[in-house]
Amino acid sequence: MSHGGSDKCEPNLVPLLDLVLQLVMFFMLCANFVLEQTSVAIVLPKAIAAKALTQAESYTIFLNVDEKGRVLLAAADQYKDSEGRVTESLDNAAQVLTFLRRRAQEDRNAVGAAANADAPLRSVIILRVHKLCPFEKTYPIMFACRQAGYTRVQLRALFDGSTD
Amino acid sequence: MSRREHKPGTDFVEPDLPITPMLDMSFQLLAFFILTFNPAPTEGQIALALPQDKGGPSNQIPSVVEADKPMHFIIRVSAADNGTIEKLTVQEADTVTPARDIPASVAEFRDEVKRLAAQVAQAKKPAGGKLTLEIGDKLLQEYVVQLVDQGIRAGFNDISPVPLNKK
Repeated sequence: MSHGGSDKCEPNLVPLLDLVLQLVMFFMLCANFVLEQTSVAIVLPKAIAAKALTQAESYTIFLNVDEKGRVLLAAADQYKDSEGRVTESLDNAAQVLTFLRRRAQEDRNAVGAAANADAPLRSVIILRVHKLCPFEKTYPIMFACRQAGYTRVQLRALFDGSTD
Repeated sequence: MSRREHKPGTDFVEPDLPITPMLDMSFQLLAFFILTFNPAPTEGQIALALPQDKGGPSNQIPSVVEADKPMHFIIRVSAADNGTIEKLTVQEADTVTPARDIPASVAEFRDEVKRLAAQVAQAKKPAGGKLTLEIGDKLLQEYVVQLVDQGIRAGFNDISPVPLNKK
């Protein structure tokens, strides 16, 4: 039995390429990018009742608290002190309060001078506290939030899918 | 001025786009993303009721009508030196009911707050229930979140963690 003619038989690779590029795109979009404001050093506790952020909570301030109770500042929040040294973490509640008061003032300025001074601040504070941090370190930070005028404070936790 | 024209009878040559190198590169990219794929765990928030600050704005307008006051329960959580729960004590605020101890475990705490939530539902108070957790200094955040989590799941929306022996 002989094949007639000299036509080459080539597989059509274009649909395969389309599929592969779609898969590449999927994995690129799902890649675990490091979020700017969160710290991977913080191991969060688990909670079942944890809810996702809503659309109304578009202004957020993340406070990443490590197991020693220090607040690790995101790159955008780091600032230089009077001696020109870059402050990367806030080591006590007084520093946290100073930082939050500055952010609160920025919040008020952003809303405008016409806004009511007693109105709640627009930002929600999200505390990402390491699961091994003792309460004596966490509570002064919560209290500093309240003193700075923030009334909406949320604890961040990993969503635990188990029922109990 | 030159003008190109197909001579009659000449075959049209279709440009040949090499697909194979592009496919090779795509497979390499795919392999890279598959190997480095690590879906981020889902994070969520738990809302807290912060302690009152003197002079600061209040979250809630104070109620003058007794019936509008929420049923307020205080649970004292003593912590052991290793950061675990050592002792749990429950008391209803503004009453003469004595404080009572419950076994020191998250499971017992869950059962207790469920009982308290049922008590609130039975009383049909419009303001609902309020839960204050007085927490020992050494208690780890892991347990704090577990206790708040159990309180929310039982039906308490106003949960406020404060240090033990301080209000």
